[in-house]
Amino acid sequence: MLHFALREAARLALGLLGALLLAAALAALGAPHAGRGFMPFMIGWGSVLGSLAQADLGRSAMSGGSVWHELGAHLPLTLGLVGEGFLIALIVGIPIGFLFGAGPARRAASPLVQVISAAPIFVAALALAYLAFHLLHWPVPVGAGEKSGLQLVPHTMAELQAALLPVLAIGLAGAAAAQLALRRGAADTLRQPWRVQLRRMGLTSWDVERAYVVPAVLAALLASLGEVVLALLSAAAVTEWVFRYAGAADLFVKSVALRDWSIAAAILFVFASLTMTAHFVGVCLARLLADPGAPASWR
Amino acid sequence: MAMTATAQPQPNAVLDTILRAVGWIGLASIAVAVSLSDFLASVPADTANAGPLLAPPSEMFRLGTDILGRDMLSETLHGLSATVRAALPAMLVALIAGALFGFVAARLPRVLAFSLRGVIGILSAVPSLLLAILMIGLTSRGWSGLAAGLAAAPLAFVRAFERAEAQERTSHSEYARAAGISAMTLLRRDLVYEFTQTILSGAARSLAAVTIILSTVSFLGFAAEPPHRDLGLMIAAAKGYFLDAWWTAAFPALALTLLILFARLAAGLGEGERA
Amino acid sequence: MSDERKPILELRELSVTRGGVVELDKLSCKLDRGETLIVLGDDRSGKDALLRLLGGFAERTDAIGGTIKLGAGEEQAASRKMRSPIRIVYLPGTERPPLNPHASTASQLARVVARRHEAPRESGREELRLALERLPGTPPFDALDRKPGVSSAVVLTWGLLAAALAQSPDLLIADHAFAGLTPAENKAVVAALQAEQKRIGFALLYAARGLQTAAHIRGRVIVLRHGRVIEEGDFDKLAGGQSHAYTRTLFKALAKPGDALPARTMRGEPLLQVHGLDFRPPGDKGPKPRDGLTFELRRGAALALIGEEGSGRRTLMRALLGLEPFTSGRVVLDQVDMSILSAAMTARLRRRIAFITGQDDALDPRMSLWDTVDEPLRAHLGLSRDMVAGHRDTALKRVGLASYDGATVVATLSRFDKRRLQVARAIVSAPFLAVIDEPLRGLDAFAQSIMKELLDDLRKQEGPAFLIVTADVGVAQALAEDAMFFKDGKVVERGALREILKNPRDEETRHLIEAALGEILL
Repeated sequence: MLHFALREAARLALGLLGALLLAAALAALGAPHAGRGFMPFMIGWGSVLGSLAQADLGRSAMSGGSVWHELGAHLPLTLGLVGEGFLIALIVGIPIGFLFGAGPARRAASPLVQVISAAPIFVAALALAYLAFHLLHWPVPVGAGEKSGLQLVPHTMAELQAALLPVLAIGLAGAAAAQLALRRGAADTLRQPWRVQLRRMGLTSWDVERAYVVPAVLAALLASLGEVVLALLSAAAVTEWVFRYAGAADLFVKSVALRDWSIAAAILFVFASLTMTAHFVGVCLARLLADPGAPASWR
Repeated sequence: MAMTATAQPQPNAVLDTILRAVGWIGLASIAVAVSLSDFLASVPADTANAGPLLAPPSEMFRLGTDILGRDMLSETLHGLSATVRAALPAMLVALIAGALFGFVAARLPRVLAFSLRGVIGILSAVPSLLLAILMIGLTSRGWSGLAAGLAAAPLAFVRAFERAEAQERTSHSEYARAAGISAMTLLRRDLVYEFTQTILSGAARSLAAVTIILSTVSFLGFAAEPPHRDLGLMIAAAKGYFLDAWWTAAFPALALTLLILFARLAAGLGEGERA
Repeated sequence: MSDERKPILELRELSVTRGGVVELDKLSCKLDRGETLIVLGDDRSGKDALLRLLGGFAERTDAIGGTIKLGAGEEQAASRKMRSPIRIVYLPGTERPPLNPHASTASQLARVVARRHEAPRESGREELRLALERLPGTPPFDALDRKPGVSSAVVLTWGLLAAALAQSPDLLIADHAFAGLTPAENKAVVAALQAEQKRIGFALLYAARGLQTAAHIRGRVIVLRHGRVIEEGDFDKLAGGQSHAYTRTLFKALAKPGDALPARTMRGEPLLQVHGLDFRPPGDKGPKPRDGLTFELRRGAALALIGEEGSGRRTLMRALLGLEPFTSGRVVLDQVDMSILSAAMTARLRRRIAFITGQDDALDPRMSLWDTVDEPLRAHLGLSRDMVAGHRDTALKRVGLASYDGATVVATLSRFDKRRLQVARAIVSAPFLAVIDEPLRGLDAFAQSIMKELLDDLRKQEGPAFLIVTADVGVAQALAEDAMFFKDGKVVERGALREILKNPRDEETRHLIEAALGEILL
């Protein structure tokens, strides 16, 4: 286990370093003279890396303020949305994954889940907005207009109504990834001969499911934590735009449109780091839960 | 004594085959609709005032009209055509730069292979939508198709790379190498048995991925403006009034979802699986 | 009648049908307490149906007829679900993983024992430990605290046996329980099982597809084919003579002393020459052998490398073929010193080597039947499909696969078919050396007989030298004239196999011979 964790930690460190270098290369495009050839670009890149070593992320070309300040203003909203969406993903995804993992229940639920998976996030978000507007009579900020704020810990009904739709849209995207991981884990264990053999040796179904199947299935979910986080971040990018919330994903879209590469690079780095870190944590926890041991070799 | 060696197909395998067939038939139907869109649509694209403004679905206008009086049925057909025509080249880019490149990259010298895997792995950790927007921002809107294809490629690359790597480590590959079968023969073997047999499902998978990216990018206002509006742009335009006139967004959204659904079924993707 | 000889199991006209297929057809038999019954047959003989029924895991789709009487209970319709008045314990084999790979062997087996006794798990673990300690020659209990994936088949088998015995069975149903073991391991485990059977007095029903374990157990045998009993009797009596043709073919697979091949009189050119070889991997810190290994293998000859797992025979084989580096010495293959060759040239030389192995995944499962056989000629000589078709069809005919559709995918073939396909591929490649590694592993007795004939035919027709790697002296005896016996990374005895079988000098050699062939007749 220690050897595995160290190896994964090394992979994470290399991944973060790589992401940092790529982000720095993108930020260097915003440096003066960067567009004038390879050497000026390399000098710009080196300069950005030097600034990063001093924890200086540079300045935003849009606002003139520091990149740290812009991230501080916008990132918490996105992280909050993703965090709350993650909870929804677990609350919805885990029961779907277990209940509809196999058999007739799965066959019955399959078409609905396929259709929901096929709808792009913005379509799903607009559909949710329509249902909330017409069935629940909630005010829905999807039209044109100023970007609004969002209370992630709502205290009033209006704040709850404003927060629920984007969180739900993001959560459902995460739930799709979570239930897939669980179903795959369940399908893998269904095929294993030890399930039958342990019962033949005298264990009850409950013994086998509780002691061996559930940990394996949960391990499958944990191993896919990176995928779940990536699905949440992808959904957040679209949802902020649809519901007009000024989060980091919305800032990214603006920064690309206005060629503010420092901001774009910083946000991309944060998103990549979140995904890679979630993957690392997930695979380590999965290994703790279900360490298979070394496989035999033909030698 | 003669014996049949094939096993009975499992029930899930039968269901999977049926779903794939449904997917391919759906895609074929869409292909027919796209090629005949000019014929099937009652008016050319973007024909304003073809009918009353924001009229609901009726006998005369089966899918209603939008805020400029455009016939929604005609607009949806033209929009579907624009979306598919933009998605096809992007699909090819994703297939070649993703699946094929990943497959071949696994056979390169070890250091090069793992460096490529590392860099592209980092790219696959970023939402592909944001990658596409970035590439469009770095180039121009006219390159949105290429950007969508390249943005969908990292995930396909990583999948193909890991699959090819797993093949290298199998016992049969070891025995083949021990018996003097060359690396080129093994690569050819994998190309025949792995890649060509999965190329259709790989293409369908790429189609689903690039359609989602292109339509979202279009919705966000980043895509090139084709001669006619595509489905993403139509839905974005309807955003301001769809709460009162549901048909202006619902039918383009339905067409888009069906295209993606059929592509996913044809690719054999599981429910919730990312394209 | 004493308690020990009262019937524990009586089956009357037992039949099992599933999906319209009759798996078991009116089987009647009796088993007394303390007695052993060996059920011998291939995978479609009906053994599975019998085990399912007796073990209490009949499936919903099984249509069951006949009656069953367990212990002192009433005779009942076999289709009725009933609480068994006797303790029936199931003992699985290790060919299909019987345990979850993520938990330790001991914890899972302790849970099984605890469930049987309806006791806490700690108590189950203690019972397991005591049962293991009672058996002679077992590994330490700590060996079971590892995950099943890192334990050898014999360690798992000891653990499973201890768990079964810890449950104090009245009837023990062993489902090919020792099939994955070498003859020596088999002998040790069977001896322990029989000692416990004598002590506890349980009845044993052992389902087998090969004769290896049956030859050690030596109880009453019933031979099943297509759900019917075609022959039955005591093992020793059947080994002496069989009345049914199928049984005769099964017993041809039984290795007997005196079956060894005579020494070759015709001597071909040297194919493989080894000089002063220290075949330990470089960096091995073990004691250096005093003299390196020197021997030669001539064209058309056959040499068996015999030893248990970890004895060094595979290390030598891999060193000889240039698959792994070695510490010192020289290997000359087809008059070329392997150490001076580049990797590319070594690969070219290895094209004349065919592998026939007992590993099921040695062939690419994605390839078709025809492509698997064609590949050596097409890949090495660049010949087209049409040009190789004749060779391919001849090879498939010789191994009995000609009636199969050429597009059949390897993944759908049975184990025996895959094994025969390897032979067909070897025929087509016209090798100068065939490396044969446990070729009979996992095959039923019928298939083992056929496989031996096919290998013999390959050698006679194509004339390659054979390098056989095995732990079974019976396999070596059938295929090779010369042998080397290995233990702890060293060659302990070598020479003409016929002579060694008559008079083994080393203790390990004697042990391996007795495990495979019974007591040595001097």
